[in-house]
Amino acid sequence: MEEAEKELERRSKFLNSLIQKKKKGIEQHEHESFKVHVRACDMPLPLQNRALQCARLHLESMPPGNKLDNKRLALALKKEFDSSYGPAWHCIVGTSFGSYVTHSVGGFLYFSIDKVYILLFKTAVEPLDH
Amino acid sequence: MSEDAKKNIAGALTARPNSDDQKLSPLPSPAPAVPPKKVIIKSADMIPDMQKEAVDIAVAAFEKYNVEKDVAEQIKKEFDKRHGPTWHCIVGRNFGSYVTHETNHFVYFYLDQKAVLLFKSG
Repeated sequence: MEEAEKELERRSKFLNSLIQKKKKGIEQHEHESFKVHVRACDMPLPLQNRALQCARLHLESMPPGNKLDNKRLALALKKEFDSSYGPAWHCIVGTSFGSYVTHSVGGFLYFSIDKVYILLFKTAVEPLDH
Repeated sequence: MSEDAKKNIAGALTARPNSDDQKLSPLPSPAPAVPPKKVIIKSADMIPDMQKEAVDIAVAAFEKYNVEKDVAEQIKKEFDKRHGPTWHCIVGRNFGSYVTHETNHFVYFYLDQKAVLLFKSG
């Protein structure tokens, strides 16, 4: 009888251990790869990947549980694209918005990552009339 | 049928000169007034007249459309028409943004709970 109880306890601990490991694995996996969904696009693939990577890195760098700073992510993306692919880029980040914009050819991407929607688009820059 | 129509018209005409209280009572009852939306200009690089124009167009658009994208479309197209291309508009409850705009052509305001970003670029 005692041996049976010990065996049950051992198995119970083993199962709990498995469950805990599984949970940790899932959490780690979820954190490392936010779900990305490209919803509308007029952009070469390399630029798309650049944007997705930039957004993912930004989200991953945030301490767990912290609320996303929409403006900070928008700034990060705009800066990266302005410096890498020339001005002028514009970025909108949020969970609830609609938009209507005109963009340059090949300069438009609307995607979601985790629960956030991101609009990134480019417009032609006109020289100043000074 | 035409005679009936004429009778109705005649009836309406004759009703006006009369001082019958029952007939007059429905006239002064006003339609329920829609409370004016609360407007807060959060940030602006735009002349006041144009700001007011943006707000007025936005108010009208919200009355006409329910979908944020449609509201944004209405505002952008109206400004493209009135002030020349190219304008961009974002409407919503939750968003942050970072954009480059032409000097004197940027406004960000709230209509009740909805934020409106309107700017010119390109």
